[in-house]
Amino acid sequence: MRVSLARFVLKRPETSAVVVTAILVTFLTITTGGTWLSFANLQSVSRITAVLAIMAFGEALVISTGEVDVSVGSVFAMGALIFIGVGRTVNLGVALLLALGGGLLIGLLNGAVVAFFRVPSLIVTLGTLFLFRGIAYGVTEGFYFGASDEVRSRLIFNVMGGANLGGVNVAVLWALVALLVLHVVMFYMPMGNRILAVGGNAASAYSRGVNVARVRLIVFALSGLLAAFAGMLDAASIGYVDGSFGELMELEAIAAAVLGGCSLVGGRCSLLGTLLGAFLLRAVGSYLVILGIQPQWFILLLGVIVVLASLSDRVLTKLLFRLQQR
Amino acid sequence: MRAPAVGIQHVTRPLTRFRKRPDAAIVLGTILVFLVFGAVDPESWFQFFTMINITRYAAILGLLAIGQTIVILSREIDLSVGSVYGIVAIAFIASEPTLGVPLSLLAALMLAAAIGLLNALLVLRGGISSMIATLGALFFYRGIIYVTTGGTVMRFSQGARAHWLTQAFGGQWLRLDNAFLWFMLIAVLASLVLYHSRFGNHLLAVGGDETTALARGVTVVRTKTIAFVACSLLAGLSGIVTIAQNPQTHVTLGMQLELESIAAAVIGGTQLGGGRGTVLGSVLGTFFLTAVRSEMITLGAPPSWYTAFVGIALLLGATINTVMARRSGA
Amino acid sequence: METERAPLISLRNVNLWYGTVQALRDVSVDFYQGELVGLVGDNGAGKTSLVNIISGIVAPTSGEVYLDGQRITSFHPKLAIDLGVETTQQSVGLCDNLSIARNYFLGREPVRRIAGIPFIDLGKMRKEGRKAITAFGLRESVDVDGEVALLSGGERQAFKIARAVYFRSRILIMDEPTNNLSVRERERVNDLAVQLKDQSLLVIYITHDIFQIHRIADRFIILENGAKVADVPRNLMSAEDLERIIREGVGNDAGSPRSG
Ligand SMILES: Nc1ncnc2c1ncn2[C@@H]1O[C@H](COP(=O)(O)OP(=O)(O)OP(=O)(O)O)[C@@H](O)[C@H]1O
Ligand SMILES: [Mg+2]
Repeated sequence: MRVSLARFVLKRPETSAVVVTAILVTFLTITTGGTWLSFANLQSVSRITAVLAIMAFGEALVISTGEVDVSVGSVFAMGALIFIGVGRTVNLGVALLLALGGGLLIGLLNGAVVAFFRVPSLIVTLGTLFLFRGIAYGVTEGFYFGASDEVRSRLIFNVMGGANLGGVNVAVLWALVALLVLHVVMFYMPMGNRILAVGGNAASAYSRGVNVARVRLIVFALSGLLAAFAGMLDAASIGYVDGSFGELMELEAIAAAVLGGCSLVGGRCSLLGTLLGAFLLRAVGSYLVILGIQPQWFILLLGVIVVLASLSDRVLTKLLFRLQQR
Repeated sequence: MRAPAVGIQHVTRPLTRFRKRPDAAIVLGTILVFLVFGAVDPESWFQFFTMINITRYAAILGLLAIGQTIVILSREIDLSVGSVYGIVAIAFIASEPTLGVPLSLLAALMLAAAIGLLNALLVLRGGISSMIATLGALFFYRGIIYVTTGGTVMRFSQGARAHWLTQAFGGQWLRLDNAFLWFMLIAVLASLVLYHSRFGNHLLAVGGDETTALARGVTVVRTKTIAFVACSLLAGLSGIVTIAQNPQTHVTLGMQLELESIAAAVIGGTQLGGGRGTVLGSVLGTFFLTAVRSEMITLGAPPSWYTAFVGIALLLGATINTVMARRSGA
Repeated sequence: METERAPLISLRNVNLWYGTVQALRDVSVDFYQGELVGLVGDNGAGKTSLVNIISGIVAPTSGEVYLDGQRITSFHPKLAIDLGVETTQQSVGLCDNLSIARNYFLGREPVRRIAGIPFIDLGKMRKEGRKAITAFGLRESVDVDGEVALLSGGERQAFKIARAVYFRSRILIMDEPTNNLSVRERERVNDLAVQLKDQSLLVIYITHDIFQIHRIADRFIILENGAKVADVPRNLMSAEDLERIIREGVGNDAGSPRSG
């Protein structure tokens, strides 16, 4: 009985994320004398968690196929820049379509090169990471794009991240919707089965008739789309965007997915875990802010978290295998 | 493929042999770029000043690219080189007042070696992919740079600048930067080691087929560890050379160099699958990128254009490389 | 087989290169409906490569492949499966990270549409998966929701065969299906192969167990260094002769360049 409970718990990929989150929240709350748990702080943490989570969901899908997408930080910026840049000059509806379409296209570009030419995804997306970061800096020329009050009052702008509902930013709702939809796709639809199969053993999946190239293309396309969407939500709630928007977020997205129980070699995925992973990272970030610690420490910490998360990913996988074999 | 007429197989013509080299494309590409820029902008391009600018940046990037090539040949990757470059440079300059130039130089290089060793440890003992381990390292050391320097700019004292050792890296000889001479010397050494030593043989074997290499008694862990340490050391040396030439630090020192070094190696013909590539290719890849960078600066393009260009170069270079490798049946 | 019947599958002058290795040399062979063909040969002779072409895993470098007299021009496992080729592969076919139920239907997941959205029918997948487990005498304790990684070598093999039999349509290819199987299970697989042939399927059976295949097959194709060296009906060759040819070869030396 005890073993089977342990087995069930360990079998869930998000287990460690849940445990760590619970411990962390307690720790953060106590050491800040309750400030961390205040409504104001939770309000901001929930918004920034939601934005990161939406991007990290896309990353989680890519990671599930055994690939990686490091371009998401720049795609995030492109989504935000197009939305605000076009929205304030042309039309918000057009801006919305162009922003999402742009993200989708970049994702398709990444996916096509990876799927059809079999170039390592790290290299491909490293190339697009810098390509689109260069473009982001190029179009802003060191300035930022701001949304006027008139633009901010529009419905589309509010739905796409501008508004708060009962104190909670709409991005949070979007993140929950994305979680629900993607969770269903991943675990209750054929596509999810095939994504996991490609990550587990691409040759076997291929031999069973799975269109492996198409699966790869689709996950990269989704990752691009979601990153651009997240960028839009963030830009709309902040109200302006510059060329550095979303820098370093690719690492946070990878970290969130790995912390959430997605295996870097592919074949193992949890979107709920990824959400918790995103929360964990953002919670730590906000903690540093409350304590008045230089934000640069977060970069350092992020490096450590990524390495530790992937180390524990290895250990956990081994442990799981041993436990299952009993 | 099997040649239909058997006779040709023995006397491969020089042209065919050249075409089969992994660095064939970049040799032609670099010549072309220099000629085109020379034709477009003849007054300034072939001037001494332009060339010295190119060799100066080429030396810095080239040292990193050689290190990156060694790691890629062993079928790993090192994304941390830009941060290592920065942190070693800062360590050098920060420890100089207390240790003096020779000792601080030694300490800085030891720091570089230690970082390489830690990367190797995480990858080979910890079992995480080199991509993630060194991505973590990239941010960790960048974080340390931010936290320790906090935006302040450090400089060498007059004495330290004039020290012979600083001059050995930062001075000039026969009107050429010593940095460039170091770069050339190391390129030749690295070529010799890769193609004419046991270690080189092991490195190529490990990158080409790890299981076979292991079965033939090659110590994979040791070979890869040396590759990581060499890469970090070269990144560190590049940082030291930079400081010796231009003795002041900045928090953004070395940012984006991981991308440029990988791009130089990849467009130089180094196969990402490991085991195939040349130092010459990476050196030329460096010249190629540096030439474009220099021309962009001349034309007054903002730095972001160069960033975008390197991104495209990497994307195209990697794709063409991979497709060609599959064609030739590797 | 009788010459007046049209072959179901027909390979004409097929060559296959893996980079610089030639795995198949100018192979021409016909397969007919309702026969059980034993495909034999030494290790590395090209048996797996040959069936990989039929099941769409690899495309031949040159040569023609016909199914039902129609020339096949694009090779993809999905196409082969849709055309009725079911295969138990030698080294691939299972994703260790997925459950038995999910592996069973991989690539052909049964769906229940709710408002047009295809949801996988987990209930059916479990039911059929469980049936396969019990039918093939896998351990009682095997759990359809457990990962395939936990199955033993023989259990994996049995599972692959059960799956292929479940999805059978016209052609069943079995690449060394009795590997890792106990004597009892081996008998079952052989009986099944004969049964399916009697249901007028084409069964292509690869094995190194010459005496076993000699008992059940109608015809043998022997490959050596990628070339077809013999294609004989059972009544024209004894098991001993068959084994001798495979062991000693017919002198098709791979080293000598072949002009073609
Ligand atoms: N993917 C591949 N890449 C390169 N060479 C391959 C590949 N697959 C097979 N080969 C080579 O092709 C030849 C034929 O292999 P094949 O797997 O068809 O042999 P086989 O008859 O099935 O052998 P076995 O009885 O051992 O299964 C061998 O020399 C093998 O090394
Ligand atoms: Mg075989």
